[in-house]
Amino acid sequence: MMRVPSITFRLTLFFAIASTAVLLVIGYVFIVAVESHFLELDRDELNGKLALVRNALAKAHTQGELDAIPQLFDEALVGHRNLSITVFAPDGRILFASSDDAFPGAALKIPLTERRTEQSTLAKWEIGGHEYRDIVADVATGIAGIPPATVAIAINIDHQRIFIAALRDRLSLAIMFGVTTMAALGWVAARRGLSPVYRLAAITQRITATRMDDRLPLDSVPVELREVARAFNAMLDRLEESFRRLSDFSSDLAHEMRTPISNLMTQAGVALSRSRTSDEYREILYSGLEEYERLARMIADMLFLAKTDDGTLLPRHDAVDLAEETKEVFDFYTALADERGIELELVGQGTILGEALMIRRAISNLLSNAIRFTRPGGLVRVRISQAESGEVQLVVENPGPEISATQLPRLFDRFYRADQSRQKDSDGAGLGLAITKSIVEAHQGTIGATSSPTTTRFEITFPAAA
Amino acid sequence: MKLLIVEDEQKTGDYLKQGLSEAGFVVDLVRNGTDGMHVALTEDYDLLVLDVMLPGMNGWQVLQGIREGGKQLPVLFLTARDQVDERVKGLELGADDYLVKPFAFSELLARVRTLLRRGKEVESSVLSLLDLELNLLSRRVTRAGRRISLTAKEFSLLELFLRRRGEVLPRSLIASQVWDMNFDSDTNAIDVAVRRLRAKVDDDFEPKLIRTVRGMGYVLEAPETK
Repeated sequence: MMRVPSITFRLTLFFAIASTAVLLVIGYVFIVAVESHFLELDRDELNGKLALVRNALAKAHTQGELDAIPQLFDEALVGHRNLSITVFAPDGRILFASSDDAFPGAALKIPLTERRTEQSTLAKWEIGGHEYRDIVADVATGIAGIPPATVAIAINIDHQRIFIAALRDRLSLAIMFGVTTMAALGWVAARRGLSPVYRLAAITQRITATRMDDRLPLDSVPVELREVARAFNAMLDRLEESFRRLSDFSSDLAHEMRTPISNLMTQAGVALSRSRTSDEYREILYSGLEEYERLARMIADMLFLAKTDDGTLLPRHDAVDLAEETKEVFDFYTALADERGIELELVGQGTILGEALMIRRAISNLLSNAIRFTRPGGLVRVRISQAESGEVQLVVENPGPEISATQLPRLFDRFYRADQSRQKDSDGAGLGLAITKSIVEAHQGTIGATSSPTTTRFEITFPAAA
Repeated sequence: MKLLIVEDEQKTGDYLKQGLSEAGFVVDLVRNGTDGMHVALTEDYDLLVLDVMLPGMNGWQVLQGIREGGKQLPVLFLTARDQVDERVKGLELGADDYLVKPFAFSELLARVRTLLRRGKEVESSVLSLLDLELNLLSRRVTRAGRRISLTAKEFSLLELFLRRRGEVLPRSLIASQVWDMNFDSDTNAIDVAVRRLRAKVDDDFEPKLIRTVRGMGYVLEAPETK
């Protein structure tokens, strides 16, 4: 499995990369600005010197004056060791070359023909390990009738190169230092920023099956984590609720099994305490058999519930005609209802996708329940309706005493009996409605109970067949 | 009728053997899969009661071995795990029926008798016991020559009783055979239905043919003359 890098690492890395990028851009802009500043300075200087030369040449009206110019320039160039001036006659002969031979004017010869323009342009040269910037221009002399001379002026810019190299080194150092600092700060910021998460983790660790009442305090959590904390608390609520149910269920189960087993043990113990007639023994065995039967049914019901709970019992997807299934179940209960003077009525129809056997079982449990709580002369009605949307509703209604609002949702709990005195009713351990509910839920439906002073209603809603 | 039981659980094996012997069968009991398959292949039995969880070879392997050995006897398997795929597997491997533990002995007996009878009974259009007669074609029921009118379900119920006369029928079996309620349902409904049938078939006549067996179910039989 690929290891996911920690958030701290990611943030630190992000800070480092971001600051590197920013500092590099700043450094680049800075160096470009310095270089263009140097260029401006050089241009000014070269143009100044060109103007000087232009001026001197313009004043030379005779060949003699022209020949005196080198001397004039030599004097003017005293102290400008970085500057070199070369003047070419139109035929290419060098009229004058300053004493700095590091930049031989001859080097200009070839490009000269190409660069001879009215406008002066600047160019950069590298010769013999030195860098120069020069300007080349045609300059007219004061002597009438001869073509203009060509003047090339160059300055050595080695000091600029050295300066920029040094600047570059320092900037690199500064950038490295800056990046390291930003990364370190980023790490600290990430750690500090994540501290609420560590706090959440610490609280979470305190929560165990026995201590589930702890919740994350929403007020002390930053806004960004509030949703997480809220979702987490909601999950804890659900877990606590299912834990409670599970533990209630286990203790109920133990209780439900303890009673019949205790009865059986007592009965067998008493039976064996002295010798009895075979009729008495038979009676004891029969009574035991009834008790075993009840236990076996309870176990079968529990297994059914366990299977629907963990999803191993998935209903098939056949078309199930609810009215048809209800009629079949009515058939089964007709005799019982008749005997108790209860009328059964079916209204409407609807079809869902599911497993007929499971649906029939759900309806059977509801009907059995309804018949049990209906007084003679009452009417148990099953109403089926299919909405436009395809949603199907099945309602089982019977006249009966009001069930309090607190009891209603608990009706579907396992082993729950609204009427505790009904404990020993021949049928069921209080699992019927729980089974009905799990069948309905296995079909993605919902079930609910409502009660008025005269009527009890169970309502199942199945989703539209997809 | 000769039966073979393959069951490793001590008490279950003993009780099954005792119960089935007393019900009139010749019963052999083997306590592990390897012996079970050997015995089933070398001797002739009319039916095999096979536990799935066995030491040595498990029930599935035994079943496969027997079918591969060419034995076509009916096999009823017993399982403690009521998983759908478990049942499907058993039936695919060639078992004929199954029971999930815990089960009522009367249920086992009823299934065993059904399997043994399968394909052997000559279909007769009239079922009868003493002076009670049920005609499957005309759907008429008479007792002592007097016509008795029954509802459709009462007719099916009486037909079931007559076909399985002398057998104790558990309520769950009645519910599944007559009403197709193949799950634990309200047994009061069965009790009422049987009571109503009795009122029509037995109340005005002697001897009484339908008898309640406490803790087990109902049986239709001619009373023993003492």
